[in-house]
Amino acid sequence: MAAAAQGTSLKSYLLTRLALVVPMVLILLTFVFLLMRVAPGDPISASLGGHVPQSVIIDIKHRLGFDQPLWRQYIEYLGDIARGNFGRTITDQRPISDIILVNGAATLELTFFAMIVAVVVGVIVGLVAGRFRDTPWDVGGRLFGIVIYAMPVFFIGLMAQLFFGSYLGWLPTSGRASPITQATLVTHTNIYTIDAIIDGNWSALKDVVLHLILPAVTLGLVTAGVFIRLIRVNVIRTLKDDHIEAARARGIAERDVVYRHAFKNALVPVITVVGLSLALLLGGAVLTETTFNWPGIGHELVLYLENRDYNAVQGIVVVFGLVVVFVSLLIDIVNAFIDPRIRY
Amino acid sequence: MVRKRIGWRWAAALAALGLVAVAAVAGAAWARGGHAQAVTLVDGTTDSVTNIDPANEYDFGTFTLDLLIYQGLYGFPHGAKLEPVLATKCVPKGTNATWFCTLKRNIKFSDGSPFTSADVKWTFDRVIKIKGDQGIYALLSNLKSTTTNGTYGVTFHLKSPQSTWPFILATSAGFIVPKSLYPADKIRDNSQSQMGTGPYELVKYTPGQQAVFKANPNYSGPKPKNDNLIINYYSKSSTMKLALQRGEIDMAFRDFTPTELQSLGKASGIKVHTGPGVVIRYMVFNPTRAPTNNIAVRKAIAYLMPRQTIATRVYHGFVQPLYSMVPAGLPGHTDAFATQYGRTPSVAKAKAVLQKAGVTTPVPIDIWWTPSHYGDASADEYAEIQRALNGSGLFKVTLKSAEWAQYSAQPGKRYNAFQLGWFPDYPDAEDYIVPFYQPDNFMANGYNSKAMNTLIKREYAAPTTPRRLAVIKAAQALAAKEVPIIPYWQQKMIAVSRNNVKGLNQTLDAAFQMRFWLLSK
Repeated sequence: MAAAAQGTSLKSYLLTRLALVVPMVLILLTFVFLLMRVAPGDPISASLGGHVPQSVIIDIKHRLGFDQPLWRQYIEYLGDIARGNFGRTITDQRPISDIILVNGAATLELTFFAMIVAVVVGVIVGLVAGRFRDTPWDVGGRLFGIVIYAMPVFFIGLMAQLFFGSYLGWLPTSGRASPITQATLVTHTNIYTIDAIIDGNWSALKDVVLHLILPAVTLGLVTAGVFIRLIRVNVIRTLKDDHIEAARARGIAERDVVYRHAFKNALVPVITVVGLSLALLLGGAVLTETTFNWPGIGHELVLYLENRDYNAVQGIVVVFGLVVVFVSLLIDIVNAFIDPRIRY
Repeated sequence: MVRKRIGWRWAAALAALGLVAVAAVAGAAWARGGHAQAVTLVDGTTDSVTNIDPANEYDFGTFTLDLLIYQGLYGFPHGAKLEPVLATKCVPKGTNATWFCTLKRNIKFSDGSPFTSADVKWTFDRVIKIKGDQGIYALLSNLKSTTTNGTYGVTFHLKSPQSTWPFILATSAGFIVPKSLYPADKIRDNSQSQMGTGPYELVKYTPGQQAVFKANPNYSGPKPKNDNLIINYYSKSSTMKLALQRGEIDMAFRDFTPTELQSLGKASGIKVHTGPGVVIRYMVFNPTRAPTNNIAVRKAIAYLMPRQTIATRVYHGFVQPLYSMVPAGLPGHTDAFATQYGRTPSVAKAKAVLQKAGVTTPVPIDIWWTPSHYGDASADEYAEIQRALNGSGLFKVTLKSAEWAQYSAQPGKRYNAFQLGWFPDYPDAEDYIVPFYQPDNFMANGYNSKAMNTLIKREYAAPTTPRRLAVIKAAQALAAKEVPIIPYWQQKMIAVSRNNVKGLNQTLDAAFQMRFWLLSK
């Protein structure tokens, strides 16, 4: 009976969450549309101003429909989105879908490896800090977490470029691969590590991995700061729990109590935070990509934003939004399944 | 439980072994592939690419790329002198309103198909028909129609006489595309193959990242001195500088900050190459709004303009003072502003001109500049101008700035005094006079002078080059006298390379074109 009640509530919760995606996306679309129009400047002047006669600029704005009433532009925009047509960029006539696929793959690759760095660093430092509370390990771990979280991502990136790239000369400082590797690499998925593996091109794989290290570590470290604090607090709290005391009372070795019982429970909330960190990671990716000339979707967003390219910015921001919305939804669903205490 | 633990250990050991194997194979393959770079020249740039199809290309970054794929009837293949490229010659018939061109024979596109007059007509017709969003069609606004005369003859019928028509043929609006490949009424997409008669074929283009070229086997000119060329695109010059210093790229053409150039000039293994340049910077006035509607105010600023200080302190010598809208080095250039206002700032003369006009000093004035289009040095540039003007005691300058997207929308209608820069459509004095001083100019600053309008008409229709250049000189003198614009520097053409790159001295000239096919390493 109880299980049936829980099943029903979970189903209705999921349906509600799915239904909420529609107004969320609509609000996002409207907000981005208005923000781009309210911001001073326009894409045609940004692109042609300073060298083309005004009559030409007016003519082009008219042909592109930028002189039409805002409501009409908005309806046309929503209509296109509803048909799945994000259109083309104004600046270079590139299909928005191409940006999402090609540059989105670059961002996906970067954020995936950054997440690995974040989880590995965050979990290890957080566990150690929590386990050895109020010792120099804990102080060091907390300090590290606060500093990397507080430091701007571009500053960490710049320092890493100068030290590991320029001073030590160990690692490349920009791009996804060296120019010749990129020129010769056959792209199947636009995720270079996978493409290199598919082709069995090991020299390309090495080159791509080397290019990934600095941006992924930079972005990963910033996100790791969040994990460190969370895991440390969870470990401290879990170590005081009754079931840990009971395990100790049963004579289980302290090492097993800590590593097999306490740490496991302390890591459960991380799943939620990993999902929520995606927004942070995507935001950080914009800055990281700009710093490292990483041609991801955030890098493109900055370039198109400078040119007030309405179509490009709208398309990219909506995709960013959709990714965050669906990952949040996914995390909620996973949480609902793995944690029976959750009721809706 | 024990079995489970052993399983994990085995898995870890296998994973470690796998990683070692991958690293070993990768290392070996890396070593084998280490020679590929020897035949490929890698360039870096902060320029960007819009549409590769020349029918919708009107920016320098794309022009640099297109110059490798396409050719025009005229061009600058050997230096700043305009020469026939795909034409043997173009001559005016009667007045300069009709131009007849004979074409070179045995020219082929990169796929081996022949180049004929039909391709020329097709090219010009489609630029006008498509009216691309980048506005390149504006360069052909004087073209009424194009007709063919047999396989190797073309006639251009203009709306009004234009003595500089061959210069228009040298712009990207005149880059010839094959009729068989390019549609008549729409732009060929960047993701599709592109074809021209130029020295290279574009083999791969990744937007915002890279353009890869190989030598065109059907090119009619001398074989390029490098077999392959890669242009890598950077969003920040600081990243490009690191890439150059690390040897990831062989050279960089456009655009480092003055500080970066100074630093690279001292770096070992790297050379900063400079040549004559045609990029200029100037300050525009609106002569219809106070206080710049008073010519005395404009003249006083012209007397105080700290050109040398800007060139030395802000740009570390990578620009030179400019005393006319027409840059030094182009035929017809005169130092009109130096003649009118002197080469160095004069507070006494500025004071005298304001006193004579009865202007109360200090004159409050807002001067606008943009931080997002002309480089990081713009802030220092305008700080120097403010210092010079305020230091004279004659002006009280308030500096104001706006992002380019906002700034560029008809600045002349909103600002009294503002910064702009110019890169020419073609390296001729005409392109530094007509767009700026004609009544409906792109700056929308309201300047309209009967005397200047007459000179512009005379320049367009001048039957001979000496007579045309005489009009250009008169226009410069008038421009200095009426001061709707103050030019203050021209930039050198700069490329930075590693020491092993050769041939850059052959391409740094007033044509301002990077002829990559002349470079080797």
